Amino acid sequence: MKRVVESDVCIIGAGITAAMVAERLAERTSASITVIEAGGRTASLAERTRTRARMLAYGENPYPNDHIRDQTGTGAMYRQMVVGGSAMHWGGAIPRYSPEDFRIRSLYGVGFDWPISWDDIEPYYQEAEERIGAAGEQGPPDCDPRSRPYPMPPLPLSYNLARMREWTDEAGIPFWTQPWARNTEPYRGRNVCQRCDTCAVCPTGAKYTPDFAFDQLLAAGRIDLFDRTLVRRLTLDPGSDRIALAEAADRDSPDDPVEFRAGTFVIAAGHAWSSHLLLLSANSRFPDGLANRTGNVGRYMTGHWYMSGYIDLPMRLYPGVFANNSLLSHRFASPGPLDRYLRHDLRLWESNVGRAPRLTNDDGRLLWGDEIMADWRARTASGATARIRAYYDVIPDRESRLTLDRANTNALGDPMPRIDYRAADATIDLEPHTLGTIRGRFEELARAGGGAVRSTRTSRLFEHPGGGCRMGDDPVTSVVDRRGRTHDHENLFVVGAPTIVSSGCANGTLTFCALSLMAAEEIGKEGLR
Amino acid sequence: MPVPLPGGTLRAVAEAVLPGELAAEGRERAVAAFERWSEGLEPVAELSHPYLVPEVRYSGPDPRPGWVAQLEGLEKECESRYGKGFGDLDVPARRGMLARPLGQAGPGLGSPASAAHVALALMAHFYTSPVATDLCYGRVIAKQQCRGLEGALGEPAALAGGGGP
Ligand SMILES: Cc1cc2nc3c(=O)[nH]c(=O)nc-3n(C[C@H](O)[C@H](O)[C@H](O)COP(=O)(O)OP(=O)(O)OC[C@H]3O[C@@H](n4cnc5c(N)ncnc54)[C@H](O)[C@@H]3O)c2cc1C
Ligand code: SF4
Repeated sequence: MKRVVESDVCIIGAGITAAMVAERLAERTSASITVIEAGGRTASLAERTRTRARMLAYGENPYPNDHIRDQTGTGAMYRQMVVGGSAMHWGGAIPRYSPEDFRIRSLYGVGFDWPISWDDIEPYYQEAEERIGAAGEQGPPDCDPRSRPYPMPPLPLSYNLARMREWTDEAGIPFWTQPWARNTEPYRGRNVCQRCDTCAVCPTGAKYTPDFAFDQLLAAGRIDLFDRTLVRRLTLDPGSDRIALAEAADRDSPDDPVEFRAGTFVIAAGHAWSSHLLLLSANSRFPDGLANRTGNVGRYMTGHWYMSGYIDLPMRLYPGVFANNSLLSHRFASPGPLDRYLRHDLRLWESNVGRAPRLTNDDGRLLWGDEIMADWRARTASGATARIRAYYDVIPDRESRLTLDRANTNALGDPMPRIDYRAADATIDLEPHTLGTIRGRFEELARAGGGAVRSTRTSRLFEHPGGGCRMGDDPVTSVVDRRGRTHDHENLFVVGAPTIVSSGCANGTLTFCALSLMAAEEIGKEGLR
Repeated sequence: MPVPLPGGTLRAVAEAVLPGELAAEGRERAVAAFERWSEGLEPVAELSHPYLVPEVRYSGPDPRPGWVAQLEGLEKECESRYGKGFGDLDVPARRGMLARPLGQAGPGLGSPASAAHVALALMAHFYTSPVATDLCYGRVIAKQQCRGLEGALGEPAALAGGGGP
């Protein structure tokens, strides 16, 4: 039997971007809010001590039931579909993008400008940091601008990172503590970080995960959350281009469809599933998918690439003191004028690479007991390893696409997404320059500490992915406007990762949250109750 | 319930592969921790998802029947070769018998659950533990334990009882 659920606002997805929208609307309007999540609930805070122990001991997934077996696509995408989304597992590194990110066409003649500027988004960065609970310190203002302090002081540098910062100071490159979504003070009812170093699953609740926000909203009676409920398509109002309803399948009772009717619909389904839902919702008036009159849905999928490496340093460090804290520099993300385009961040961690206990020595001889300890001590007594990584900016390409894969369907027969990422030719042309320069910087840093680069590797995985519904003022080249409203449907918004124009060279989630809050402000003006 | 690992032989293996500086008491703690770990092991368990990879990964089948057989095999071989039990051999002779299976592994210790031989599993379990790390550095690093933020900046305190270079 069909069920009908009515509300003022219907949010599709229960990840971190949905949490931002739901929380803001709940606080600032009296609208009735429905949140629909395809996945179920996973380990509660109380259960995370146990699942953490099993993750440490056996490598097990600390979040049972965090995915849907037959709901998965091809190409780099998160597997998590669960209340809280992929930010249940996240590390919680929350840098902002740099002001340059929003104007790279104007400043450097490559890529695309965003329709919004740094000044437009800055208040929403702050708001996102306050909602999440950000602990951080400001770097040099010319490469780490902000108008107000972080809500919490930074995580303390560990002994290892403090020694490493003496080294980077020597090299003349400013590094500061990575901002984190982890409490350094009691914050919004959550605990202080205990430095237990398993941040993929936090047993104390010091790391922000979106389930906390949903639980609070549920307890306050401000949202209705329908989990294990998969939205299969959006349907238009017969007489207009407004969205009338979301058709969903209750995964516990798939033969009884659920119809969600609302005044405003918000797709907060992440970088892959948002475009996917629009494409799935094709109808006779929008044969290529909703919000896709100009054929831009699923295009310009993007993310950043990286070069990483290990640097041997002549200093004694103690790996394990705080492996989940790191140093950050945005010096080269705000590089000033450039002859050839290159923007990247730099991160540094403690590491035990090359200095872990081992079974055989360099000659391949088996080591036993005390010999293993002696060999291990010899390799750690006066030398240490630092891990370094540079995310660099990849120019998005129109042909970088998410499409429906009719050869791969879920149990309901719906085609799953397929993402064929591509970087623009400019990125490929620049790559030798990019990688050569970054490697040179690694070597320069190593030399300044009297050390050497042990190894490097490159990755073309599109990290912190986004795109597919990019924002713009011109409907011909974009899917949503600067506030996330689709150009084609006045009551349909897409928020967060899908709407980015480019992915810069910094972890993206804080930006996805800030964009979601910008959209939420607009949604709040809709004449909602 | 998994078949328990033959405890006597396991302890005789431990004496050959774990550091002597642990002494009998420390070695017993390491073996007991390994036994508890082994009892809790869940074969074909879902593993943490790799970042941005949609595939779900699982751990391997149960290694414990193989480990039991290896420990029983050591006793049987010893009885045939020397007419005595594995634990009655001196440590160099025990190492001589373990060298063949361990020689196929390395240079890293890998993860205990994927160790092809029980001696390697025991070694991987101990040498990657917080106890072994502290012993190596001679400091109280206490990795992955709840330590509070306060102590992060200071050099870790010296380990009571020594260790370190
Ligand atoms: C291991 C790991 C570490 C990370 N670390 C960091 C980090 O340190 N810093 C950082 O910036 N980022 C990090 N990330 C990335 C970060 O987690 C994501 O960018 C962020 O969580 C995305 O949030 P979202 O709301 O856009 O989407 P998601 O988290 O993907 O949430 C979308 C939700 O929508 C649901 N959904 C989708 N389609 C439908 C539908 N049709 N019907 C109903 N529900 C639907 C999904 O099930 C999902 O739960 C990390 C990710 C992982 C996996
Ligand atoms: S280090 Fe802090 S944030 Fe990370 S898991 Fe431990 S308590 Fe949580």
